[in-house]
Amino acid sequence: MLPVDWYLIVSAILFTIGVIGVLIRRNPLIIFMSIELMLNAVNLSFVTFSHYLDSVDGQMFVFLVLTVAAAEVVVGLAIIVSIFRTRRDIDVDDMNILRG
Amino acid sequence: MTDTQLLVSFFVLAVASVAAAIGVISFRNAVHSALSLILTLLFLALFYLQLGAMFIAVVQILIYAGAIMVLFLFVVTMLASESSDTELPDRIPWQRGVAAVLGLALVGALSYLLFTNTAIAPRTTGANSLSHMVGPQNHSIEAFGLALFHGFAFPFEVTSLLIVVAILGALVFGRKA
Repeated sequence: MLPVDWYLIVSAILFTIGVIGVLIRRNPLIIFMSIELMLNAVNLSFVTFSHYLDSVDGQMFVFLVLTVAAAEVVVGLAIIVSIFRTRRDIDVDDMNILRG
Repeated sequence: MTDTQLLVSFFVLAVASVAAAIGVISFRNAVHSALSLILTLLFLALFYLQLGAMFIAVVQILIYAGAIMVLFLFVVTMLASESSDTELPDRIPWQRGVAAVLGLALVGALSYLLFTNTAIAPRTTGANSLSHMVGPQNHSIEAFGLALFHGFAFPFEVTSLLIVVAILGALVFGRKA
């Protein structure tokens, strides 16, 4: 038997690693992966609370988050590919204007 | 599973998933980061299995570790020839230290909230405290399906609209400009 807190601590650690990844990396693809990491950390919290409250609602939220994440990845990767088409460099610090 | 097995598997999974997550943000090569992220997602699927969420665990492996990461790896390898493996020297050198300090502050604050129960205490008065135990438990897929197509039927249908919009967005961005 395990305390629920432990799962939430793992979730918090994974979320923080994702935040740090977004802050320190400048490759847009790896920043995107860090965002996925944060989404998954929150999913772990949802499943933990679903188990703890003995209700499937948390799992339903995870299912919807998964769908939203898939849509987000499709659009985000399309944006990254079109950015790479117009400019050769990879650094997000260079992408500070909202036009091509 | 006995308590000891549950405990050992939890700690193995926790250490492995955190190590793989650190790998995601510390590998120089984007392909290695993507592979490390796949590992993290698989470990999370095992966590879901441990928590009795069978359907979510399977969907996590199929959709996340499968479909989404294939898309990621496709884009990474497609763009790999145009970008070098190493990033350019950092033009904002202090941001690494600040990010580490802020990250430690965030994980500290979250852990503090969890251990003192201040954030969740009002919702769980009475016999249920947050240190409720996690044990083997069965959430049947039947209950999940019933909830999905009855209580959550409308969000489920709206999801299809979202996917259509995402497909159209990807088409618009993918067109030759």
